Amino acid sequence: MEGLNDRALDGSARIAAMPRFSPFNRRTAWILAFLAVFLWSLGEAGVFDGPILNRGGWTLAWQFARAAVHPDLSADLARLTLESTFTTLAFAIAGTTLSIVFGLIFGVLSSEVFWQLIFPERSARRPVRHRAPLVVVRAGLAVPRAIHEAIWGLFFINILGLDPLVAVLAIGIPFGALTARVFAGILDETPREAMRALESSGVAPGKALLYGLLPQAFPDLLSYTFYRLECAIRAATVLGLIGAGGLGYQILLSLQSLRYEQVWTFLYALILLSALTDVWSSFLRRRFHLASRLDLHSKDRRRDYRADPVAKRSLQAMLVLIPLSFWYIEADFAKLFAPRTIHLLTGVIHDALPPRIDGGLLKSLFHLAAQTLSMSILAITLAGTVGLLLSFPAASNFQLPGGIFDHGGRSRVQVLTGPVIFIASRGVLLVLRGLSEAIWALVALFFLFPGILPGALGLGLYNMGILGRLMAEVTENVDHRPLRALQAQGASSAQVFLYGVLPTTLPRYLAYVLYRWDVCIRATIVVGFVGAGGIGRLLGEQMSSFDYRSVATSLIVMIGLTFGVDSLSSRIRRTLRV
Amino acid sequence: MRGRSLPAASIFLLRNVTKAFGNVSVLKDINLRIDSGEQVALVGSSGAGKSTLIGLLNGTLYPTQGEVCTLGQNLTRLSATARRQIQREIGTIYQQFHLINNLRVIHNVNAGHLGRWTFTKALLSMFWPLEVELAQRALEQVGIPEKLYEMTGHLSGGQQQRVALARALVQDPKVILADEPIASLDPERGRELMDLLRDLSRTTHKTLVTSIHSVDFARSHFQRVIGLREGRICFDRAAHDVTPAMIEALYWIDRPGDVGVGGRWKD
Repeated sequence: MEGLNDRALDGSARIAAMPRFSPFNRRTAWILAFLAVFLWSLGEAGVFDGPILNRGGWTLAWQFARAAVHPDLSADLARLTLESTFTTLAFAIAGTTLSIVFGLIFGVLSSEVFWQLIFPERSARRPVRHRAPLVVVRAGLAVPRAIHEAIWGLFFINILGLDPLVAVLAIGIPFGALTARVFAGILDETPREAMRALESSGVAPGKALLYGLLPQAFPDLLSYTFYRLECAIRAATVLGLIGAGGLGYQILLSLQSLRYEQVWTFLYALILLSALTDVWSSFLRRRFHLASRLDLHSKDRRRDYRADPVAKRSLQAMLVLIPLSFWYIEADFAKLFAPRTIHLLTGVIHDALPPRIDGGLLKSLFHLAAQTLSMSILAITLAGTVGLLLSFPAASNFQLPGGIFDHGGRSRVQVLTGPVIFIASRGVLLVLRGLSEAIWALVALFFLFPGILPGALGLGLYNMGILGRLMAEVTENVDHRPLRALQAQGASSAQVFLYGVLPTTLPRYLAYVLYRWDVCIRATIVVGFVGAGGIGRLLGEQMSSFDYRSVATSLIVMIGLTFGVDSLSSRIRRTLRV
Repeated sequence: MRGRSLPAASIFLLRNVTKAFGNVSVLKDINLRIDSGEQVALVGSSGAGKSTLIGLLNGTLYPTQGEVCTLGQNLTRLSATARRQIQREIGTIYQQFHLINNLRVIHNVNAGHLGRWTFTKALLSMFWPLEVELAQRALEQVGIPEKLYEMTGHLSGGQQQRVALARALVQDPKVILADEPIASLDPERGRELMDLLRDLSRTTHKTLVTSIHSVDFARSHFQRVIGLREGRICFDRAAHDVTPAMIEALYWIDRPGDVGVGGRWKD
């Protein structure tokens, strides 16, 4: 009673009554849970039981590293490199084109706005009629999306043999399903006033969509298309590694015959190709006023991208490159509908059903699923932490002149170090994401025993490149004024970083990390194919022995794992946003 | 008192200060002295140079020509560490608050300690907030003690400006600068905040320099009013000496269409 009176009368008593927030809150619970899962993953990877470094591979690793400084530059190999680079690029462009066609069709079909047009809500009483077909289409798209392009690749190799169509289809189908989801999101978030106006004046739904909505959504769709092209180049390399031709295939051949000088020539070509697309794509995004590469909605719709010469030329270049690519790879789409293909396809489906269910397979799949999960967790932890550290020097507003931490210290050393560190960290990130996870895993296999660890390292290095760049973009979009306010009251740079930069950027960054975790769990398949552990390795073996009933079982487990991670990741992302 | 040093009472001393951004001179040949314990209002239309002057006073901007002495020191000549030591004696609040929205209020208030705290202490406080009682008292003074552990971005504009003021109080500076502190607030919150600023300055004897759009507030809440026009000091008087004619001259538009309605929102 007494305390209550005190509180009512005296302000200072109210101060004491303010409960301190517990150190055991939701945030620390997440941190502890993560640490536990991380330790479990390390245990799964065998870090705690015995040697992990393969000393036997060190001489090879050394030879490989030495070859980096003198790649094979002979005329023959240069020609081969050029041809393979064109092949990879052509695979990527043709695959992207296919995926955009799929994506446009199914994007419209899986958008809410489309079904609302078809079944207009005339009364508030039955608002859910459009939901039913929407749910069906979206669920149908989820499965091809969850299956990694490498699995599609192996599947089509089994049916079509080593045919250029393999790469095009293996990129086109999963990317198409992914693109459809993103396009549907873009369409649903594009302002609808113009379309509504057409609709209300009696224009048929299809035409209203075509004239009222698509033109507005077009710049966002286009920008996403270029981002997909970047990804498709990586995918085309991976497909090369499983035999589809192009740079990936050449890298694999030279690696297996220990011709490391040649490997490096191809690697440099691949890095160059990735870097060029990367730079081109981010340049275009800036022209379209998109702040970051995951930012799908341009801020300023009024500015006309067609008035921009660079954007215009890029579009024209793409229009020329697409038919050129199909011509270059000599894809014969008639083969798809040949009786032999259809016969093989029905054969595979017949062979795969019903999926094999026996105790031994299920037990090993359970074990492998745990390994795959731990691989993805180790990978994303590595990518997240080191990527974060690399991202800050790679942000253009960090220590460069005029940046957050440029104090006008103009000694000659400082003037030089800023740009040098900036360019170096950008370069490291570019190379990391220029080579795909599979190639990094192959490199890791030089000095690590096959298993989870090289796979995690491969996935980790590649995603580090992506996350570091994404995070640099987040930092570049930070509002400087609160940071200047901290500096104005005498805070040091390290303190401004701790109290200003990190709290502002970290939530967004964590969301990106979780999003990449989704991608990582799918990509465990690829590193599995090249010899690291997990379900991917088993699936690869099952595929090459045509054991389709087991393949079906493994695929179901893998898809289940992907969906599980996907829903967990989006759930954590939602809690972070609150 | 040593012969050549400035009188201790001088907080700011500006000699022939010009500040240009590129080719545009925002402040031209300013001479100004502000003494300890003064309450000064800066008035003038948008683009007159008020925010730039505040920036020169708290050391985020350096003059293009001339000399700014803050607490007897020329900041341009100091090392980073020495400059920060002066800057910790100056607390600033801003029109747009400039708080870190993703931090709890306690951390934003504790950011006032950063000039004194070591990095380790700052890091520790992120996980286990230190000096909670002081932060609580500061929030009590600005009238929102119950917001201590809230997320700053979830607060209303008026509450955020109070958090910014609490940060300045925890910093315990000799001077409080305020750059259009009430321009983003509704009239009632604005009045409350101006009262708060005036009372705090009076009770703690802190020097107060505020740029403000409202001439009425300038006359009712401050001792001294400085009128800026096109980068020059138009008048510098005790508040009760400011006449309507001076105000008219300050805001007078000499070329028709030069400063229209749109011009008011330039900054």
